[in-house]
Amino acid sequence: MSTYILRRLLLTVPVVIGILFTTFLIKAAIPSDAVVTMYQGQLSEQDASKAIAIMRHKYGLDRPWYMQFLSYTEGVLTGNLGQSIRTRQPVIKEIGYRYRNTLELTFAAFLVALTVGVVSGVVAAYFKDTWLDITSMTVSLFGISMPAFFFGLVLIMVVSVWLRWLPVIENGWQGLILPALTLGLIEAAPLARVARSSMVEALGRDYIRAARAKGMPESVVVLRHALPNALLSIVTLAGLQIGSLFGGAFIIEVIFSWHGIGELAVEAIQWRDFTITQGVILISATTYVLINLVVDILYTWIDPRIVVDKS
Amino acid sequence: MSFTTAEPSLLALPAAAAGSRRATLHALLHNRTAWIGGGVLLLIIFAAAFAPWIVPYDPYRVDPIVRLQPPSLAHLFGTDALGRDIFSRIVYGTRLFLLICAIAASIAASIGVTLGLLAGSGPAWLDMLIMRLIDVLLAFPYILLVLAVIAILGPSLWTAMVAVGIAGIPGYARLVRAEVLSVRSLEYVEAMRAAGAGVWRIRLGTILPNVVSPLIVYGTFATPLAVLAAAALSFLGLGAQPPAAEWGAMLVNARTLMFTAWWTVAAPGMAIFVAILSLNLLGNALRDVLDPRSR
Amino acid sequence: MLRRTLISLAPSLALGLVEAPARAADAGPTLTFRLGEDPETLYNVQSISLTVAEVLGDQILEGLVYLDRKGLPQPWLAQSWSVSDDQKEITFKLRPGVKFHDGTDFNADAVKFHFTAIQDPQNASPLLPLIGPLHALDVPDPLTVRFTFAKPFAPFFTNLSLAQLYFNSPTAVAKYGKTYGRHPVGTGPYRFVSWNPGAEIDLERNPDYHPQWRSDAENKGAPYAARIVLRVIEEDGVAAEALETGELTASNLTADIIPRFVHDPGYKVIINKNVTNLLFLEFNERRPTFQDFRFRQAMSYAINREAIVQASWSGYAAPALGPLAVGIPGYDAGVVAKYGMPYDPAKAKALLADAGWKPGPGGLLEKNGQKARFLIKSYAGFTAIDRALAVIQSNLKDLGVDATLQTSDWGVFYPSLLRDDWDMDLDRWTWPDGAVLTQLFRSPGHRNSTLPDPKVDSVLDRCNTLMEPTQRNVCLGEAQQVLLQAMTIVPILTNWTVIATQKNVLGYDLDFEGGLIPGDVHLAKT
Repeated sequence: MSTYILRRLLLTVPVVIGILFTTFLIKAAIPSDAVVTMYQGQLSEQDASKAIAIMRHKYGLDRPWYMQFLSYTEGVLTGNLGQSIRTRQPVIKEIGYRYRNTLELTFAAFLVALTVGVVSGVVAAYFKDTWLDITSMTVSLFGISMPAFFFGLVLIMVVSVWLRWLPVIENGWQGLILPALTLGLIEAAPLARVARSSMVEALGRDYIRAARAKGMPESVVVLRHALPNALLSIVTLAGLQIGSLFGGAFIIEVIFSWHGIGELAVEAIQWRDFTITQGVILISATTYVLINLVVDILYTWIDPRIVVDKS
Repeated sequence: MSFTTAEPSLLALPAAAAGSRRATLHALLHNRTAWIGGGVLLLIIFAAAFAPWIVPYDPYRVDPIVRLQPPSLAHLFGTDALGRDIFSRIVYGTRLFLLICAIAASIAASIGVTLGLLAGSGPAWLDMLIMRLIDVLLAFPYILLVLAVIAILGPSLWTAMVAVGIAGIPGYARLVRAEVLSVRSLEYVEAMRAAGAGVWRIRLGTILPNVVSPLIVYGTFATPLAVLAAAALSFLGLGAQPPAAEWGAMLVNARTLMFTAWWTVAAPGMAIFVAILSLNLLGNALRDVLDPRSR
Repeated sequence: MLRRTLISLAPSLALGLVEAPARAADAGPTLTFRLGEDPETLYNVQSISLTVAEVLGDQILEGLVYLDRKGLPQPWLAQSWSVSDDQKEITFKLRPGVKFHDGTDFNADAVKFHFTAIQDPQNASPLLPLIGPLHALDVPDPLTVRFTFAKPFAPFFTNLSLAQLYFNSPTAVAKYGKTYGRHPVGTGPYRFVSWNPGAEIDLERNPDYHPQWRSDAENKGAPYAARIVLRVIEEDGVAAEALETGELTASNLTADIIPRFVHDPGYKVIINKNVTNLLFLEFNERRPTFQDFRFRQAMSYAINREAIVQASWSGYAAPALGPLAVGIPGYDAGVVAKYGMPYDPAKAKALLADAGWKPGPGGLLEKNGQKARFLIKSYAGFTAIDRALAVIQSNLKDLGVDATLQTSDWGVFYPSLLRDDWDMDLDRWTWPDGAVLTQLFRSPGHRNSTLPDPKVDSVLDRCNTLMEPTQRNVCLGEAQQVLLQAMTIVPILTNWTVIATQKNVLGYDLDFEGGLIPGDVHLAKT
C-alpha cells in the first residue's frame, strides 16, 4: 500500500508540471493585458509606448518565452508568484487571504451536501417506492438540473430580502450560510441518489433479513447493520465530491460576493490581470490535485481492497 | 461538476446484437421518463427548427415604448428591458441551446473518444502519455478549465462552447478507455486478433460499437453540465454576448430586475431548467433501459 | 476617463447608516459607503481611476484648490495665487500649520514631491497629461510654490481640483515604499485605518483636522461622523438589496434599480444632473464612407436618444446633442440647440439618399456597389452600453443599414481602435474640463482615426492657451459649434448620478464636481 501512495505522489509531479506549463501558456496567449489598459487613452501614443515599455521590462514581459517559464517556475518554488499587474501587490498576498474563504465555503458546503444527501438517500431507500422516495429522488433530479446561479439568486431573494433572515453583504459566518446552502444542496443531489441505491442494496442483503427475523429493533437494523455497509459507496462518491465542490464554489462566490479565489479568478480574467489569473489557476489546480490525492490515500486506508486506479 | 466518474465503470456491457437493439427501443418506448424527457427535447428541436415561423415578433427588435411589460396576450412572456418580446427570444434560444449541446458534445466526444480508443488499445507508452495528458486536464476543476480557456480565447459564445467542449474531453476519454480495456480481453476479440485482423478494424468494427451505448448514456449526463457551464459563463458576461438570445445571457440583469420585472428572470431560468431536466430524464431512462442493474 | 466611470458613476460613494454603538473615544455615527469596485491602489500617482479618486479625494487627501458652486477655483490648501503676465507662471502661497495624518508638515516640499513623482519615468504615471507642459517647479520658501509652463496651460486649475493632484505625505510614501498604495496618508477630514482587499476600506475621523476652509461645506466644524466604512459592492442588485435590508442604507443607483427607490417614501433620492460624462458614437475616418459629413450627420438624426435614455438609464439621463457634456464649464446650450441634430429618421433617410445610398435588395442600402454593412465596436460588461448598442442597431436597421456589434473588454477594445478594422465605435468619456475636446477630437484624434480639420484643430489649440475662464468658455463655445458643424462625433447622452439615501440622512451634499463632502453628513434626531 505504501508503494501505491508513493506511486501516486510521484505521478502527481508530472501533473503539477503540466499545470505550471498550462498556466504559463495562458499568459503567453493573452492578447492584451492590464498594463496596456492602464495607459491606453491616458497618454499620447509616444508617452504610452514609453510607459508600456518600462512596465513590460519591469514584469519581464520582453524576454523569450522559455526564459520567462524558467523564472516563473523558480519564482513559484520560492513562493513568489509575481505582482498583480493591476494592484502591484504580491500575487501570493492577494490570493492568500481569499484562499481561506474558498476553503471555508468548500467544507461548509461539503457538510451540507453530506448531511442532506445521505439523510435523504437513506430515508428514500428505507421508504422505497413510497411517495417519500419518489419525492426525494425527484427533488434530487431537480437539483442536478438547476443552474446554480439561478438557484442562488432565488435563495437570496427569498431568504435575505423577503424574509430578512440573513444579511446580504455580511462576510462573517452569517454570510457563509446561503452560499454553503446553495452549493451544498445542489451537490447533495448525486449523493442522495448513490446513498439511496447503496442503501437499497444493503437493505436487501440476507443478513438484514436475518437480523429482522431475530427481532432486532428497526433502528438498530438500519443504522448499525445496513448503513455501515452502504457507507462505502457513499464515502467513495463523497470524496470525489469534495474536489467538485471546490470547483463549484467559483461561480457561487461571484453570486454571493463571497470573497474567495473563485471570485478573484473571474475578476482577474475580466481585468486581463494575467499574473493573478496564473496564480489562481496554479493554486486552485494544485489544491484540487492535493485534495483528490488525500482522498485517494484515505480510501486505501479505509479499504485496502480498493486501489483507485486513476491511471 | 457533480457528475461522478465512478459511474462509467458500471456500464461495461457485452456486445449488442441487432435483436437487443430492438428490445432496447421497445423498452424505451414504454418508459415514462423517456417520454417526458424525450418529448420535451423534441419540442425544443421543433421550436428551434421552425422558430422563424413560430415567433410573433422579431427577437432582436428593440421597442422602448413597451419595455418591461408583464406577460399578456400580446406578449406571452412579457417584454424585457429593451422592449423585446421574451417569448420570441426564448424560442430562438432553443437554437443556441441545441448548438451548445451539439458543439460541446462533438468536441468532447470526438477528441475524447479518439484519445480513449488510442489509450486503451494502443501501445503502453501511448496509454501512459495520453493518461498523463488527461490527468493534467483533470487537475483543473471543471469551471477553472473552462475559465482558463476563456481567458486565452476571450469571451464569446463560440469560445464558451469550445471551452466546455475541452473540459468534457477527460470524461469521454476515461470512459472509452475503461470500456476498451474491458472489451479487449474478451474471447472473440482475441480470436479476431489471432485471425490477423488489423488493429483499426478491431477498434472500429468491434470495440467501438460496444462503447456506443454507455457513450450515449454518458453523453446525456455530461451535456447538461456543459450547457449549465455555458449558461453560467454567459451570465457572468464571459460567454454569449448581448443581444444574443441565449438563455444564460438573458439572465445577466436578473438580479436587478428580479423585483420589478420577475418575468424577465423566470422565463429564461425555467427554460434552462426544463431543458436540462429533460436531458437528465432521458439519460435516466436510457440508463434504466440499457443497464437495469444500476437502478 | 476609463470605462470604470460607468461603475462608479461620478460619486459612487453613498451613505449608509449602521446602528453601531458609539465608541467611547469617538462619538458620532458610522457611515457606510458603497464602492462600485475595489480600487487597485490608493496611491493617486498610480491611477487615473474614478474609484481611486473618490476614495482619496472625498475623504483622505486634499489639494491646492477646489471648484466652488460656480465652477471657479477657490483657495483650499493654497491661500492665494498669482499668474504671471505671460500666463506661463503660477505662484501659490500655501496655508501655514497644516499637518498630514502622520503629524508631518504639509508644505511646498510636499507639493513638489507629488509633481516630481508624477514626472518620474520609473513611476510610469498615467497622470502626466494632467500637468501638461509643466517645465519647472520651484520652492523659494516652505510656503511658496511656483509652476512654470512652456506655454499657457488653461486646464491646470481644474486639474488641480481633481483628486489625482492632491497631496500625500512624503514621509509616509518614503516609509512604505511599494506598499504605500495600501496606506494612504493625507491631510483630509478622515484618515485611513484599514483595507480588507476586495471587501472594505475603513476610515476614521481625523481628530486634528484643520478648520473647514471650503465655502461649499455646510459644517464648518469637525466632521460629524466618527467612522466611514467603504464596502465594495460591484453588483447593483446586491447594493439595492443591501439598501433594502438596511445594511447599506444608501447607495448610488443605476438604471434598473432606480425605479425601486425613487418613489418610495422610505428613501431620499438625490439626482445630480450637472455631470461631465458623454456617451458618443465615433467614426473611423480612415474609411471613405465616414469622410462624408452627410453620412455622419445622418447618423446623428438616426439615433433615438430617448429610447437609449429609457433602456439604459430608466430615464435618468439626458440626450446629448453637443460634444461637451452639460456639466463641463463652457457648455453652450445655445450652440447645441442651434447646431445639434436630434432624432429624425426622415431627415436621416434623406441625407443618406443625398449621399448616394440607394436601397438594394431586401432594403439594404448600397452605394457604388458597397453594401451598408458596418461593424460597431464597444466595450463589454456594462448593461447601459449593451442596451445602447441594441437600440442603435435597431435604429440603423430601420434605415436599411446593417450593423454588426462587437464588444470586448476595455483593455482589448480601446487599443484595438488604433487598428483600421472597425467602422464605428460607441465610447463614453468622463472629464470635468473642456480640455477633453482636445484630448479626444483634435486630429489625429485619441485613436488616430480623425482626419485633420484645420478649423477644429485651430480653435481647440486656442482654447487651451486661454487662462481666463470667461474667455476660455467663449472659445469653447466656438469649438462646440465647429465640432457640431463637422459632426466629428455623434453625441448621444449624458447620464445623471442618482443616489438613494435612507430617510433620516441629512447633509448629504455633492460639490460642483459631484464629489461628496463627507464632514457634512449626519443623521436626523429620531
